[in-house]
Amino acid sequence: MKEIVSRIRKWIGLPGAVIIISCVATTWLISCAANQQSGQVSAAAATGKGGAELWAENCIRCHNIRSPSSYSPAQWEVVMMHMRVRANLTPEEHKKILEFLKSGS
Amino acid sequence: MIRAIPIIVSQTIASGFVALIWLFIPFAATAQEVASSPPSSDYVSRAEYDKLKAEHEEMKQELEALKAQIGQLAKGPAAAPAEGKQVVTEMPSQAATDELRQQVETLKSQVKETFPGSTKFLLAGYGTAGFTARSGEDPFFDAAFNAIFLWKLTDRLFFEGELELEFEDEETTINLEIAQASYLLNDYMTIGVGRFLNPTDYFVERQHMNWVNKLPDKPLAVYDGLLPESELGAQSRGVIPMGPTKLEYVAFVANAPGLITAPDDFSELGTLDFDNDANVGGHVAIGGHVGFIPIPQLEIGYGIQRSKVGPRDQAVEAILQSADFNYVQDSPLLKGLINFRAQWVWSHVGDFVYDPDGQQGFGPLEFNNNRNGGYVQLAYRPTHIDNDIIKNVEGVFRYDRLNQLHTPVGFDEQRFTLGLNYWVTPSAVVKVAYELDDKNGGARDQNAFMTQVAVGF
Repeated sequence: MKEIVSRIRKWIGLPGAVIIISCVATTWLISCAANQQSGQVSAAAATGKGGAELWAENCIRCHNIRSPSSYSPAQWEVVMMHMRVRANLTPEEHKKILEFLKSGS
Repeated sequence: MIRAIPIIVSQTIASGFVALIWLFIPFAATAQEVASSPPSSDYVSRAEYDKLKAEHEEMKQELEALKAQIGQLAKGPAAAPAEGKQVVTEMPSQAATDELRQQVETLKSQVKETFPGSTKFLLAGYGTAGFTARSGEDPFFDAAFNAIFLWKLTDRLFFEGELELEFEDEETTINLEIAQASYLLNDYMTIGVGRFLNPTDYFVERQHMNWVNKLPDKPLAVYDGLLPESELGAQSRGVIPMGPTKLEYVAFVANAPGLITAPDDFSELGTLDFDNDANVGGHVAIGGHVGFIPIPQLEIGYGIQRSKVGPRDQAVEAILQSADFNYVQDSPLLKGLINFRAQWVWSHVGDFVYDPDGQQGFGPLEFNNNRNGGYVQLAYRPTHIDNDIIKNVEGVFRYDRLNQLHTPVGFDEQRFTLGLNYWVTPSAVVKVAYELDDKNGGARDQNAFMTQVAVGF
């Protein structure tokens, strides 16, 4: 038995452990999400920050912040969906930043 | 009789004298009034009165004319009365004006949104032009254009494609950088399939775009080096909000890289071929990345990819790892924006026997291929300085390194790069940089002067 565990540990190593942890976390997330209605914002994400603040905080982490007037409201819808995926924005961040950008465009 | 004549004369003289007095009294009274009243010039003569009356009549007419003019202006532009229709002469109310204005704005917005590329579909991207003078090479100009197509099909389904057009070996090449369909499964997970930027490599996924990258060239090891730029497969990704912090995750499966066993250039022996779209060898890579954001300014991440590489019957293990640190702080104390980034990557290819039968002329040769490298970069832009030119200037320093001395490549390399940027707009920058190159193992150092103009749109 010890030998089997040792072989598994050797095979898995640190990289494998990270992947396994990611998979477990993913599974847990799916189960959590399944219990929630679509589009519902989790309580944990309720940061209380406004759209302008979230816009500045999240965008500047990678690039200069662009003016809300850079795109039309319809274009911001597309851009923000792209950024939600690429920059891993929470639903709340996505919603608030989009509202802010659309109001200023 | 003679006595009577003087009496009559004296009576006549007296009567005349009294009459004179009586006549004098009114004149004397008049003379007193004249002395105490205004000058006789304030009195209006008939001619003056008539003139004033005429002027008054003229002013009255002008006033009536002005009244009529103001009334017309208040009613708005005169509309030609249509036959059978009543001419509206009432003033529009403020509410009606506001409503009309709102309708016009709505219509303008609707018209604008019908323009090509602005509804659900967006053409974005960036363009670059540059000049490089590197010692030991001919100086050259270059240009590139990356077109990014974003298409929001529904509120959950999204497509992203990127084409890169650039000059390479005197030819214009087109590369498909991204072609990915993403589906927002729920608030915490997005599924993506297709070709996507390598999620384990923070620089590739977030920083490699020329209008984002702060220097004209890209750091050793992390770009076009030890990790693939893109993956062909499927990924699931998302973010877990934890109070004020966030945990990002990505997990993916993709075609495994190929192992270069018979290269044209010997220095490539034992390295990985990341353009293995045909998945020669039939292996599958699995990998992922986790990033933790304890405060909004800081992100720390770790990524890994693991796969078998090489011929199916002689496959060896390849492990690629990356650790990244990114800190961006808008500091009133330092009157500017501090941007500090660091990333280090490791590449391990297991023990493999190259040219086992000696047919290629260098074998049999057996070795592990372990390489590593990365970069540290600091940038500062005085955004709080109240000067339109200075606040758009940014200074950059980068140290990057690639350790590969004990591989067929045969040298390590390190570079020190100083750069100065001027931001014309938030997504348009002019970069100038000088790079000091230092190679160990006998290879020639290649210092470089570089300029680049990059525009994101």
